[in-house]
Order: sequence, then structure tokens, then C-alpha cells
Amino acid sequence: MTIRAAIDWALGLFRRFLQVRAVFTTVVLSGIALLVVGGFLSYSIGNGLYQTRVSQILAESERGVVEVQNTFAASTVTDDIALQSLLNSVVPSLESQGSSDSRNVALLRTPGQVGSQILQSPISADLDTAVIPIDLKSQVRNATGKLTYQSIGLPQANGSIHPAVVVGSPIEIPLAGKYERYLVFDLNGEQQTLDFVQSVLFWGMLILLFMIGAVSYFVTNWLVKPVQVAAEVSEEIAEGALDRRLTERGEDVIAILARSFNRMADSLQKQITKLASVSKMQQRFVSDVSHELRTPLTTIKLAGDVIFASREKLEPAAKRSAELMHDQIERFEVLLNDLLEISRYDAGAVAADLEIQDMNGIVGSAIAGLEPLAQSRGSVIEIKIPSGPVDVEVDGRRIERLIRNLLANAIEHGESRPISVAVGLSDSAVAVSVTDAGVGMSRAEVDRVFDRFWRADPARKRTTGGTGLGLAISLEDTQLHGGWLQVWAKPNEGASFRLTLPRRQGMIFTQSPLPLPPKQPKRKEVAGE
Amino acid sequence: MAHKILVVDDDNALREMVGIVLESEGFEVCFHDAGSGALDAFKAQEPDLVLLDVMLPGKDGIEVCSEIRASAGTPIIMLTAKTESEDVVRGLEAGADDYVVKPFDPTVLLARIRARLRPLSKADGETVQIGPLTLDIVGHEVRRGAEKLLLTPLEFNLLLTLAVKPKQVFTREMLLETVWGYHYKADTRLVNVHVQRLRSKIEDDPDNPKIVTTVRGIGYKAGQG
Repeated sequence: MTIRAAIDWALGLFRRFLQVRAVFTTVVLSGIALLVVGGFLSYSIGNGLYQTRVSQILAESERGVVEVQNTFAASTVTDDIALQSLLNSVVPSLESQGSSDSRNVALLRTPGQVGSQILQSPISADLDTAVIPIDLKSQVRNATGKLTYQSIGLPQANGSIHPAVVVGSPIEIPLAGKYERYLVFDLNGEQQTLDFVQSVLFWGMLILLFMIGAVSYFVTNWLVKPVQVAAEVSEEIAEGALDRRLTERGEDVIAILARSFNRMADSLQKQITKLASVSKMQQRFVSDVSHELRTPLTTIKLAGDVIFASREKLEPAAKRSAELMHDQIERFEVLLNDLLEISRYDAGAVAADLEIQDMNGIVGSAIAGLEPLAQSRGSVIEIKIPSGPVDVEVDGRRIERLIRNLLANAIEHGESRPISVAVGLSDSAVAVSVTDAGVGMSRAEVDRVFDRFWRADPARKRTTGGTGLGLAISLEDTQLHGGWLQVWAKPNEGASFRLTLPRRQGMIFTQSPLPLPPKQPKRKEVAGE
Repeated sequence: MAHKILVVDDDNALREMVGIVLESEGFEVCFHDAGSGALDAFKAQEPDLVLLDVMLPGKDGIEVCSEIRASAGTPIIMLTAKTESEDVVRGLEAGADDYVVKPFDPTVLLARIRARLRPLSKADGETVQIGPLTLDIVGHEVRRGAEKLLLTPLEFNLLLTLAVKPKQVFTREMLLETVWGYHYKADTRLVNVHVQRLRSKIEDDPDNPKIVTTVRGIGYKAGQG
């Protein structure tokens, strides 16, 4: 688990940071290069040491052979005992003992000669003749008067094996016959030198590798820094700080990047400012028009009311006109208010007046307000609400208006069939659904239902006089609360609008406490647990 | 005697129409058409109530409102086309008692006017004591010791409403109904702004009120504890 986490962390670093990747690649590639160079150096040095030593050994052996030969030639011994002691004296004269540079000697009688072996073969005390390879022995026997050598491993008392060279040469000893003289040279000294050189190389290259890593880190950092700054500044610009710029310094590619970046930011800022001012002007215009209309509308409304109040004194045509005018002034006023509300949303000038309230109460008063309309259209409103209070943090005025609007739509399109209103709650959300069993909507109509001034069927007779902005405002109100307003509809089966709001501002919810499309009335359960 | 109402609005048609509505209800009406000179018209006419448009040429309604308040406590109702909070609150802070949003119903306008011209709520006795203040109900006066405090009729009414039931906590809705005459949900900022104005006149330290105290989450009450 922890190893896995560490790997993930490292991979994450690798993916996220250019520097890490650059340093990693540099170190790996340099490591390979150093390994090759180190291997080559180590091999060359080792080989050089060996070759030098071998030629030195051969020279020494040559000398030794001549000396021994001379010794025997010059001797005047005639009996075996004297010969034996002469033989024995040869060994110490060629031996040399040292901790790392020892030389051992063996004087062996060549087997297969006539006459029996009477004399003992003198051998250095530390030498085990088994280390002398058999193939070397046969080479020595066949090579007359020449030095033959072979490198071997020399087992030590402590179990380690020292590299060594065995040099063999045949010797003719008067009275004793053919002998083979072997010199075993311990190359441990050279090996130690080589070991030392290799360890110096290893540590040197390790330090070099570390320095290469550090240097590449600093260099990439130095190169990446301006890019990082550019990324940060882009981020800030994206978040709205349009006047942020990079510092332009020097003539290099980074400076060119900075200049191009700044030019791009300049032109972006110009475009955005222009668009913002056009959009602000437009919003301002809608808002101003709506406000300017208010004063004449007030006069018209007061005048209309005065005329309407005295309509009984008017002749029939004038009386009906007064009534029509009275209704239409009201409709005009509602439209104007909706237009203002939308323009306030467009200008981003809406703040929710949040308070913890009982959703059942809000739904109740919305229904109470529309009960007369529902009765006049013959629609029964069925209510399914949780038994206890449903506390929710909302702008009560907006949410009641929203539910009233959904209800008015349901009554208008509900074909006088029952309308069902449900409230559901969970720990994090509260939902209200308004469902009718009326004309419903097609898929394409559902997609446009929240558009401004959009009407499901322009040819249909309108009776309740909605403004065409109701659902657009409802959607804005929902978004102001951080909630969802969703719709389900099927032609001739009805439509259902479901409002889901967080119980407290900022609460996250992933599911609505009420189903959409609504379940069949009989199967409908009390939602929310 | 008919109450006299001064209508200050730059729109001729609206001014005349408001005049027709008010006169038909038995009020005496006088007019002024600009912000500049409105104070002079007020002083010359001595109306019982002022209907004041916010957007006026010369001087805006909020300034006119402050000028009138500086010299008199006459009820002022603002006529506003803007429903944005800022305009409403600025008007109230300048001393307006109430506001009506255009386009208004004649019935709403008349209800607001009548509420402001209504005699003050009745209380037993002639004076009410609240903290260091003495309220003279008949004389509409508030005294701190020998010092006479200048309250508008609305502020006096607000203080009296709280003072006659010193132990009771009044919600903003209750005060809107009792003092302003609203019988349905209305703008609670009316209460907040006027309580602040009242405190600035009667409290030693308006930021640390002792006479009209806030009951968190509910409303206001007279006195501490």
C-alpha cells in the first residue's frame, strides 16, 4: 500500500512537473554515459596493470631460469644428498614473501622419465601444487627452453581468491633429469590498486551524476520559471484580473513570449471590455425603459381605475372598454415587473434574502393564492407533504412566486384534471414537484420551456395571461439558491416540474428527494427518510 | 377639516391624476413640480403629508426629504420607480416614513396616506415612562428630564407602541401592522431603518442601545433584559 502510494506520488510528480521529467531524463542518460565511460576506464586500467605486471613477471622468470640453470651447471655435486640440498636451496632463492606480492616456487620432476624418482621435489611452504593447471603443465613439457604462463585464481586461507600468474619452464638438472620449474606470482597488489581505482571512479562518477542532476534542475528551473509565471498570469486573467501582464525583459525567446502574451492579453481585454460595455448598455437600456414606463403607467393605471370605478355610469361599449383596459393594465404591469426582474438578473444585481422557513408553509400559501383560479378551471389540487415542518433556507418571496408560477402553468395546461403538488426532504435537500395530467409537451418543447417569451403553442388560446417570462425567472430564482429546476413531460400525458433546493445554502446534494418523472399516484411513497 | 397633501412630482399628467384621485377622496391637494423650491412650497403650504417623487429635476427627492425633515416631522411618503434596495433605503434613511412603488393602485396609495394621517394609538393615562424618557401622549412630546426631543409622529408612534408594553417583544411584522398599518407582508427594512433613526435621537450611544433593544432573530422591545 505505502509503496504503491509512493509510486503514485512519484508518477504524479513526474506527470505534473516538467523539471522532474527533465532532471530524471538527464540523470538517466548521463548515468548511462558515465557507466560506459567508467566501464571502459576500469577495463583499460585493469588491463594495463595486468600487462605491465606480466611482462615484469616474465622478465623476472627469465632471469630466474638462467640463474638456476647456471647454478646447476656450475655445481660439482655428485651424490644425491648434495643434489637434494642444492635443489632445496633453489626454492628460497626464487621465493619472495609479501602480504600482497608473494612469489612461490615449485620444482617438479617431469613425469615419464627413465630412472626412479629419488629426490624430493622442493616446493614453497605456502604453495599447493594443485593450483597449477594441468594444461599448463603439458604446455611446459612441450615447450623447450621457453616460458609459458597462465593466469589463475589463488585460494587464500580466509576463503578469498587472489588473482595470480603461473609461469612455468622446463629445467634440465644434471644427474636428476628433467624438471619443471613453476613460479606462482600473486597479483593481489595489482588487484588492490585496481579496486581502489574502480572505487574512486565509482564515487567520482556518482558525485558527477548528482552534480549533473542538480545543474539540470537549476537550468530547467531557470527556463521553466518564466513559463510558470506566464501560466499563473494566464490563470489570473482567466479569473477576471484582465489587467495582469508579464514583465518584458531582454531579447530572448522568453521576452518574445512575454511580449506576445501581453499583446494577446491587451486585445482580449479590449474585446472583453467592449463586449461588457455593450452588454451593460443593453441591460441598462432594458432597465431604463422599464423604469421610464413606470411613471406613465402609473397615470394610466390611476386613470383606468377612476374610469373603472365609475363604469356603471357608462354606456355598454364604454363600460366594456373600461373593464378590458383595467385587466390589460394589470397584465402590462406584471409584464413590466417580470421584465425588470429579468434585467436585474442579467445585471447580476439580485441578492437572495435568505431565511430559514417552512417549505410546507410556502407551498401552502402559494396554493391558497391560486385556489380560486384552479376552482374556476375545475382543477383539483392534491397535496402530498411530510407531516412535520420542512425547514429550508430560502428567499421565501422568490420561492413562493416560483411555486405559484409552476401552479399557474399546471392549471393552464392541466385540462381541468387533478394537479398534484408534493414536498419531499432529505438531509441535504428539499424538493417540490408540481405535476399535471394535461396536454404535456414534446421533447423539443421541453428543451425550450425555460426560454424567454417562448410559448408552447402560440395558436392556443391564452386565458391566464402569463408573461412568457415566468419560467425564465423561475430558473434564475432556482440558480440563485443553488438548486435545480427540472422538467419531465410527455404529449397528452402531462408535465411535471421538480424544484430541488439545498436545505442550507452551500449544502451539496446529488439526488432529489422526489422522483422525476413522478411515480403513478397509487405507488407514490412518502418521500424522504 | 380636510387633510392637506403636497404632491411633488415633475410629471404633469401623473401629478394631475394623483390630484384627481386624492380630491375625490376628500383631501385638499397642492402641487409642486421640481426638487428645487420644494422646501419653499412645503413651508408656504404647510401640508399634513407630502407625496414625494424620488427622481426630480434640480434636486432629487432624497435631498428634498432631508431638507423637510430638518425642519418638520410631517409624514413623507416617497413615490419611487426604482425598487432597488439602495434607493428605498436611502429614501428611508433621509427620513421618509414610507414608500410606494410605481405603478401603484389608488387603493394602496390611499391606504398608505390614511395610515400616516391616522391618530396615534391610544394608551391609558397621559404619560408613559420608558427608561429616562417621558412620553406625553396628548402633547406628542418626548422629554429626557427637561430636554425636549424632536421626534417625527412616526418615530413617536413607534416608541410609544414599544413603551406601553415594555415587557413584550414586537416582531417587525407586528410593528409594520401597528405603526405603518400594513395588514400583509411588507418590507421589514422600513422597521430596521426607522428603529435606527429613532435610536440616533433617543439613545446616549446608538450603537449600544438601552431604550429600544434588539431581540436577536425576533424583533425589538423597550428596555433591557
